[in-house]
Amino acid sequence: MLICRVFSRLLDYPTGQLHEYADELRSLVTTEAAVPEPVRQNVLSFLDGRLSQDLLDWQSDYDGLFERGRSVSLHLFEHVHGESRDRGQAMVDLLAQYRQAGLELAANELPDYLPLYLEFVATQGDQAKAWLQDVAHVLALLTARLQERDSDYALLVDGLLQLAGSQVDLAPLREEVAQEARDDTPEALDKIWEEEMVSFATGDPMGQNSSCGTARYRPTPEQRQDDVMAVQWVEPSLAEANRR
Amino acid sequence: MSHFLDRLQFFKRKGEAFSNDHGAKVHENRSWEDGYRRRWQHDKIVRSTHGVNCTGSCSWKIYVKDGLVTWETQQTDYPRTRPDLPNHEPRGCPRGASYSWYIYSANRLKYPKVRKALVKLWREAKLQHSDPVKAWESIASNPEKSKSYKERRGLGGFIRSDWTEVNEIIAAANVYTAKTYGPDRISGFSPIPAMSMISYAAGARYLSLIGGNCLSFYDWYCDLPPASPQIWGEQTDVPESADWYNSNYIIVWGSNVPQTRTPDAHFLSEVRYKGTKTCVITSDYSEASKFGDTWLAPKQGTDAALAMAFGHVILKEFHVDQPSAYFTDYVRRTTDFPMLVMLEQQGDKLVQGRFLRASDLDGKLGQDNNPEWKTIGVNEADGTLVSPTGSVGYRWGEQGKWNIKPLDGKTGSEVKLQLSLKEGHDEIVEVAFTYFGGQKHELDYFQHTAHDEILLHKIPVKKVKLADGTEARVATVFDLTLANYGVDNGYNDPNCAKSYADDLPYTPGWQQKITGVDANEVARIAREFARNADKTQGRSMVIVGAALNHWYHMDMNYRGLINMLMMCGCVGQSGGGWAHYVGQEKLRPQTGWQPIAFALDWSRPPRHMNGTSFFYNHADQWRYEKLSMSEVVSPLANKEKWSASIIDYNTRAERMGWLPSAPQLGMNPLKLVKDAEAAGMDPKDYAVKKLKDGSLKFACEDPDNPQNYPRNMFIWRSNLLGSSGKGHEYMLRHLLGTKHGLLGKDLGESGSIKPQDVKWHDQAPEGKVDLLVTLDFRMSTTCLYSDIVLPTATWYEKDDLNTSDMHPFIHPLTQAVDPVWEARSDWEIFKGIARTFSDLVKGHLGVEKDLVTLPIQHDTPAEIAQPFGVKQWWRGECDLIPGKTAPAMLVVERDYPNTFNRFTSLGPLLEKLGNGGKGISWDTKKEVHFLGELNRTYSEDSIRNGRPRINSAIDAAECVLSLAPETNGQVAVKAWEALGKATGLDHTHLAKPKEEEKIRFRDIVAQPRKIISSPTWSGLEDEHVSYNAGYTNVHECIPWRTVTGRQQFYQDHEWMRDFGETMCVYKPPINLKTTSPVMNSKPNGNKEILLNWITPHQKWGIHSTYSDNLLMLTLSRGGPIVWMSEDDAKTAGIIDNDWIEVFNVNGSIACRAVVSQRVPEGMAMMYHAQERIVNVPGAEMTGTRGGMHNSVTRAVMKPTHMIGGYAQQSYGFNYYGTVGCNRDEFVVVRKMNRVDWLDTE
Repeated sequence: MLICRVFSRLLDYPTGQLHEYADELRSLVTTEAAVPEPVRQNVLSFLDGRLSQDLLDWQSDYDGLFERGRSVSLHLFEHVHGESRDRGQAMVDLLAQYRQAGLELAANELPDYLPLYLEFVATQGDQAKAWLQDVAHVLALLTARLQERDSDYALLVDGLLQLAGSQVDLAPLREEVAQEARDDTPEALDKIWEEEMVSFATGDPMGQNSSCGTARYRPTPEQRQDDVMAVQWVEPSLAEANRR
Repeated sequence: MSHFLDRLQFFKRKGEAFSNDHGAKVHENRSWEDGYRRRWQHDKIVRSTHGVNCTGSCSWKIYVKDGLVTWETQQTDYPRTRPDLPNHEPRGCPRGASYSWYIYSANRLKYPKVRKALVKLWREAKLQHSDPVKAWESIASNPEKSKSYKERRGLGGFIRSDWTEVNEIIAAANVYTAKTYGPDRISGFSPIPAMSMISYAAGARYLSLIGGNCLSFYDWYCDLPPASPQIWGEQTDVPESADWYNSNYIIVWGSNVPQTRTPDAHFLSEVRYKGTKTCVITSDYSEASKFGDTWLAPKQGTDAALAMAFGHVILKEFHVDQPSAYFTDYVRRTTDFPMLVMLEQQGDKLVQGRFLRASDLDGKLGQDNNPEWKTIGVNEADGTLVSPTGSVGYRWGEQGKWNIKPLDGKTGSEVKLQLSLKEGHDEIVEVAFTYFGGQKHELDYFQHTAHDEILLHKIPVKKVKLADGTEARVATVFDLTLANYGVDNGYNDPNCAKSYADDLPYTPGWQQKITGVDANEVARIAREFARNADKTQGRSMVIVGAALNHWYHMDMNYRGLINMLMMCGCVGQSGGGWAHYVGQEKLRPQTGWQPIAFALDWSRPPRHMNGTSFFYNHADQWRYEKLSMSEVVSPLANKEKWSASIIDYNTRAERMGWLPSAPQLGMNPLKLVKDAEAAGMDPKDYAVKKLKDGSLKFACEDPDNPQNYPRNMFIWRSNLLGSSGKGHEYMLRHLLGTKHGLLGKDLGESGSIKPQDVKWHDQAPEGKVDLLVTLDFRMSTTCLYSDIVLPTATWYEKDDLNTSDMHPFIHPLTQAVDPVWEARSDWEIFKGIARTFSDLVKGHLGVEKDLVTLPIQHDTPAEIAQPFGVKQWWRGECDLIPGKTAPAMLVVERDYPNTFNRFTSLGPLLEKLGNGGKGISWDTKKEVHFLGELNRTYSEDSIRNGRPRINSAIDAAECVLSLAPETNGQVAVKAWEALGKATGLDHTHLAKPKEEEKIRFRDIVAQPRKIISSPTWSGLEDEHVSYNAGYTNVHECIPWRTVTGRQQFYQDHEWMRDFGETMCVYKPPINLKTTSPVMNSKPNGNKEILLNWITPHQKWGIHSTYSDNLLMLTLSRGGPIVWMSEDDAKTAGIIDNDWIEVFNVNGSIACRAVVSQRVPEGMAMMYHAQERIVNVPGAEMTGTRGGMHNSVTRAVMKPTHMIGGYAQQSYGFNYYGTVGCNRDEFVVVRKMNRVDWLDTE
């Protein structure tokens, strides 16, 4: 699926080469049979929009979007493992997958960088779709978040989802992300911030608010942090690899 | 086949039996175990640590698999201690354990970045100019162009660049600036070298080679306790944490050990099991409070009052009523208690003057060498005056008598100095003592008492005939100290207390009104502390921290408790002494590191600058100064003399050679030398002539003149604007020229009195810095404001060295993996800049001569420059003599095109001039030769031919280790020999057993190594004692590096006398007047209250790193928070987690309230370094994004910290100088109505 390479180039940091090879990119998008028509239109409109823009503006947009904070990070495991130490092992496993496919990392990048992953997918022939499906959940999340931010990069990531023939229903995700967006409001932030005051004496000696109760030092449902992590998901192929 | 079909579901195969059917052999598939095995598999373990701002100095195992860092665990291989002393490990804390993820975090800086507006200008300019220097000139010299990118600072808009381009911009800017304005218009800031000394050295070496300024941090962070240089002539020297275990009584005072000293806290827990009693003194109920058998909570900022009351009890019970034999002997030998002070007639009063000196006496008491620096005592046996050995006069110009054995400096015979003149006095006179505790606080928050500002005390004196024929009255420091503490020694002094309950300074009863601490408790703790020290010969200790040091009058807090330690003979004794842990800056192999860091192997001296004065000056904080010196000087001082502004005193200090300057002179120092040569004059004489006739000024006299802007700045290993920038909003406005939240008016706008010596420009400059370059591994607040951001290696991606004062080991950071993405180590980054600089400079600058001004340095023969009085040459009070009455002026050769070659090789000055530190020097040819063999030498046709290589960071580390006595036994022996010449004693036995021990980089990679004892430090690294400061002074009779050579209760410099600080006194917090202009000025309907602003070190960050780590944020509340008390919250209608606004004239902060019983009424606490990049909404007061903890602060300087040319009160980099205190500040707090996230910005 050579088209994945187009996505790979477009999702990477924009450089002058994109202008230089604009025609080639366009013709690939136009001719590749596997691309559903709406995706084709979206990618072309992304290309037209961005290529007519000053490159420096494009670059600083990109920097501001993808290199600030983690919510739309292009590193897949950021959304899977976040800051847990499982991430190191996951990257090691992914690297092993690339090696199995006969590819060595040549760039100074992490194995879970989406454009890099797409380049790998592009070499996987029939399996490409399956590989895309493996990351469909992350792509869906990215799409929803980019749409929420009104970014045209949503067109690209959404296109990948469609290429994967993904059955992921974006509607609930969007709903969830829309709630996430309320992260920026004080009400939603309360959830992350809440740290209840300690009171040493209440009528209920073993209850939630007493200093002796067994429930005392457990987070309340509102304080729980473990559901903040966006997607709890193990890539099937990696799970398989672990089993082997 | 899958497990599903492979496995029998319904059957089990019968196995063979053995051991008479007791055992059965089975065949089961155990491949499921592989998952667990693989989980902890790794390819290698690498030793590293965390560190710029974390001073824990813990060795960690970094696990690497397939070239990726996977996790880290604590190392457990520290060399063992000894029986009955717990080992050091495990060292490490949750912050360190959650670090590995950061390497691959989405927040990691991955590529060199440039502000878009700037790169656009740059690329356009490059099309116009083939010479990059010309290209930079076209931008920097065009006000419109430069404004266009400066005003975008802090507002995002970065694009990726590459190393070639960023190096070119930086080098071009540096060349242009050095050529046009002078190399001293380029500065760099990096803190805490000890924690990754090679990374620090990288930038410092580059700057020093081109003639830029290195800015100090220890004083700027306000972690430097000026009391330490004043009392001991030492920056900071403290016991290692293991020595806590040797203590029998510990006072933990304003230091939150479990929180900020996590890896060391176990020693404090363990020693309590041994029976050691602890008293914790903190104003809030901090985490440390639980360690205390007693917890005392004085009102914050009044600790000196408590310390004085402790001292009162100790003096009364252990020096007067029933003198402790141990204490008496200790203070006689090791402190200035027996030294004589002259009393001066001032009007109708006798006041405390300076120390009596040999030069005052007839025949100079037989002293021809430096008699004006030899202090005098009375020999108890015959009542004669003697000049005992060891005072600073014996340190320079002669050898063999600089020791504190009780010897007469003239005859060499033993003397016993008389402590009190109670026996054998000529008369008893009344002497004036100043009292500051009666000053009223502007907001009535701190209590004052109703005592006169001048108190008369009865003092026994001797009459002494002076060389000029007049007669002087002299008293011992001991007698003056007793009176100062209000302790009667049998003279029926009405101003001395009869009982502890008396309301007289400084009784326990008196302090209760100020601190709120129960008087009986004070007496009990003091008694216990002293009794323990008496019985154990000094095993009482005070652990002290930032809570006492960040006040304007921190000297008084510190001197108060150090006095206790000196009175009880605890300093220099195992398990005793002063344990100050704030900014654990102990660069153990210091003398090996300095030549590399400051390029002393190629040119001397380097340009050093004290950070506080630099930022106060260049961020134009002085334009808003509201504190007048007449408010804080002694009632006995001449108010007229103190009518100028703080900045005036700083510029005077610079011109008198006390403090350094950056920039130095009002013109380009390269051009100055050229002009001098054109005029056929020696550059120094030329500069002196022009300074005298007024045609040349110091740059500090006109800091707002574009010629004197700090044009280029580097920041590395630091989040300067995020965590340590006192006066944050001033920096944004004046240094950077961008959006700011300043609410106050400057002196011009408010029509106030302007500075006397500094030129005033009505139009305040904005955007003085042309290029701000920051190196970091994450997008910090400082990066957001920079023009160029360079991605640096993390702590697991570089080779470096690490030491701490918390333990005696040296260990490394090692490169576990290559720096990811485009990151490079600091060493490689500055090497790259040096290379490009060397290329671009050709045609602009060649081999140049640079006139460097150098303040009078501590620990050099020049430190005894100004024995009597303060004389200002520009007023004709004395001649301008460089190095004596003004800074020294030295011509330094800069070989600009060879900057890179010099950077990467060890230069010839080490063989030529030797190496050394703290006043001693030794020949080091052997080590340089050795380094040539170890690192190998260059053989090429350039200036570095034949020179040892310093190409990699490891090469640099090897140089440090080989040159330093702490890591090279033979150098240690040489250093002790050199010191022995001065003291006349043999100290080599301290290092001889380790003479052949040589620590190399690979050794410490294998295991942390204990360093070797060296005279650079005053403690021993020994198998028998733990490291404790002052140990060699007490046990080897090596003098402290002060005027008297002893620990000083008394400070006799003229400015110290003007500030009423000859002795420790209680001084209340000062009035900064920053709240009344803004309180209720823009009401939002909610009640506004006033709180005292406290900014402690925090648990959720490694000082300035980490607060944007989600794991750590989750442990806290995920964004900026301010702690306040329940009562205050109630008054202001605030409930826990409300959004509040905190502001004063300096700026404002928007954050959440944490309402807690922990906090006393009237206090607001905001932990350090909460980042501006997470969860910061707009502030209603300013309409801009709310600031961080330093937005409501501003540096306020104290002239006593500017004193120079006076033995221990002489300048040293990170040793003495103005400090950036900030806890006297008050803020207005109110609930916010509307939280605006400014998302459209």
